[in-house]
Amino acid sequence: MAKKLVLLCLLLVVLSVLPLGAEAVVLYLEPDSGEYAPGDTFLVEIRINTEGECMNVVEANLSFPQDILEAVDVSQGESILTLWVKTPTINQSSGLISFIGGIPGEYCGRIAGDPGPSNLLGKIIFRVPGMMVSESKENIAEVKFLDSSQVLLSDKLGTKAELTTQGAIFKILSEPGVLKDEWQEMIERDNIPPEPFEIEVYQDPLIFEGKYFIIFSTTDKQTGVDYYEVKEGDREWKEGRSPYLLEDQSLQSIIKVRAVDKAGNKRIAEYTPPVKPKPFPYWIIILILIGAGIIWYFITKLKRNRTRNRIETHV
Amino acid sequence: MSQKKRLFNKTNKLFLIVVLGLILSSPILESLFVQADVVETSVIIHVCGNGVIEGDEVCDDGIHNGQYGYCKFDCSGMGPYCGDGWLQEPYEECDDGNNVSGDGCDAVCQTEEAPPPPPDGAVEVPPPVPTKVILQGKAYPGSEIHILKDGKEITTTKADSKANFKKEITEITPGIYTFGLWAEDKDGIKSITYTFTFRVIERTITTVSGIFLPPTIGLDKTSIPRGEILNIFGQTVPEVEVDIHILSSEIVEEVRADEIGAWLLPFNTQPLDEGAHTTKARFQLNAKERSGFGRALNFYIGEIAVPIEEVCLQADFNKDGRVNLVDFSIFLCWWGRANPQCDLNQNGIVDLPDFSILLCCWTG
Repeated sequence: MAKKLVLLCLLLVVLSVLPLGAEAVVLYLEPDSGEYAPGDTFLVEIRINTEGECMNVVEANLSFPQDILEAVDVSQGESILTLWVKTPTINQSSGLISFIGGIPGEYCGRIAGDPGPSNLLGKIIFRVPGMMVSESKENIAEVKFLDSSQVLLSDKLGTKAELTTQGAIFKILSEPGVLKDEWQEMIERDNIPPEPFEIEVYQDPLIFEGKYFIIFSTTDKQTGVDYYEVKEGDREWKEGRSPYLLEDQSLQSIIKVRAVDKAGNKRIAEYTPPVKPKPFPYWIIILILIGAGIIWYFITKLKRNRTRNRIETHV
Repeated sequence: MSQKKRLFNKTNKLFLIVVLGLILSSPILESLFVQADVVETSVIIHVCGNGVIEGDEVCDDGIHNGQYGYCKFDCSGMGPYCGDGWLQEPYEECDDGNNVSGDGCDAVCQTEEAPPPPPDGAVEVPPPVPTKVILQGKAYPGSEIHILKDGKEITTTKADSKANFKKEITEITPGIYTFGLWAEDKDGIKSITYTFTFRVIERTITTVSGIFLPPTIGLDKTSIPRGEILNIFGQTVPEVEVDIHILSSEIVEEVRADEIGAWLLPFNTQPLDEGAHTTKARFQLNAKERSGFGRALNFYIGEIAVPIEEVCLQADFNKDGRVNLVDFSIFLCWWGRANPQCDLNQNGIVDLPDFSILLCCWTG
């Protein structure tokens, strides 16, 4: 009996000390389940639960079954990541979605009193293809985070956080039902352009070999920024990203940058280069002086000739 | 003999049940102790317009705020209503300070002598409640506080002599935002950038209070022989307790900030071993409220060949005194390549940890 009591006590001690399910940052998908039919478009949100840790960089790599799901787009609207080393990229043939983004400063979780869930990293827009060759009435589509995904802590060392991930499993039916299009609804509701922003012109020996470039960055709080376009002077609009090497290195043209969101709303920022004062045209004065000199010479010559003629006629 | 055996068997069974029970319930017990994802800081958010009376609010009627008969748009009290003694057209024809009929002005503020005339023109639509964010907290006396929205500086504000500040941000679209605040103390030492993320709801006034900028910190030397005094100093809120932690040694010292918030700890380095150490500080306002930790500074006990440069000074690649979009642009150009300047953790390549360090040092 005493032996058993001792064993029990030991077990209790071990259980209390053992880190069963150690606290780790969690990357998860919401919703994590659902049923969709051919033609349906639905949204899956990528969220983070920091479990008390503070982080500022996320590299997310996800896989999805490319034969039964189509990844149409990834929306950065409402994402807490505002600086992107790699904007969300979809590789449909490999069934991969990836991005690397960061938050200036850090994110430590939800603050007491926060009126809404503010732990969103991005929204994946999936579509079930209309035509599917399948023998079974329903297929299982698993969307999951790959092991290469990582979250870095904001500890000034860039330490990798202990990470747990939770993917999603969807049932894909083979018979179409009532068509759902969640993304179209969002796009139709979005009539607000991206946030106002400024263009800054810089020159630095560390980049573009010291040539002039512009930097710009903005966010769209609804469907997310889709792309940027740059227009220098009378040139055509050209798709580009920051930092952007200027074609006109003389800085004479007005520079415009257009941020377009996923719903097509546009916000334009403009930069007018300072007018360089024109150098005083000293050469005109020299020309005038030369001209005056020539005229004076001819007048004097004419006068001399006239005087000579008068003397000759008098003699 | 057999009775004893039976009892023994019962005890065995009980023991097994208890053990199994413990093993099976441990995940449940564990989940009870798992922290919710709400971070413990001094920052609290109150929303005027969410229908819940919070903080300093007197009333909160949600989406009806600012309308006739409901709470004022800023939750500071009731708005105009029938019975307040003031005539509010076009909702009222009269207002005798009560909701009683039969006294010339009825219970819904319409005159009782004649039928009410038809309303002339459209009913006045109450102006839409603005979407606003109010930030308030403590920094350093008289300091200028830089406010970042999603990493970009949008405005500044000044703290008073008691280090209190309050700033209203208007012109804001509803959505999720990360705000960042930093300030410079009287000696030009920069604080960390204190960031927090939350959602701004349309037509509400979101008040974020308890934003306590941690104390600034400076050292008179970065390498010092053992036994000598290392002066650790900085500025914070006037007349609060500052606790300074020396890491790798678990030493905690306390000093009191003076009337202008300046604090100084002449630290005897005798108890420390030779090698690298870190120090950081925070302040305690009262029994319940305190700030988080500020910048952590490194110092060395003994001789060091290369002086330690604070990593955030290195992160300012173009040396303009700020760590912002230009530095990020330079960083992007060298992504995945070797560049000793952009490679902040000196691991031979400009990669993810360098990005994280750059973001820690962000000033906008």
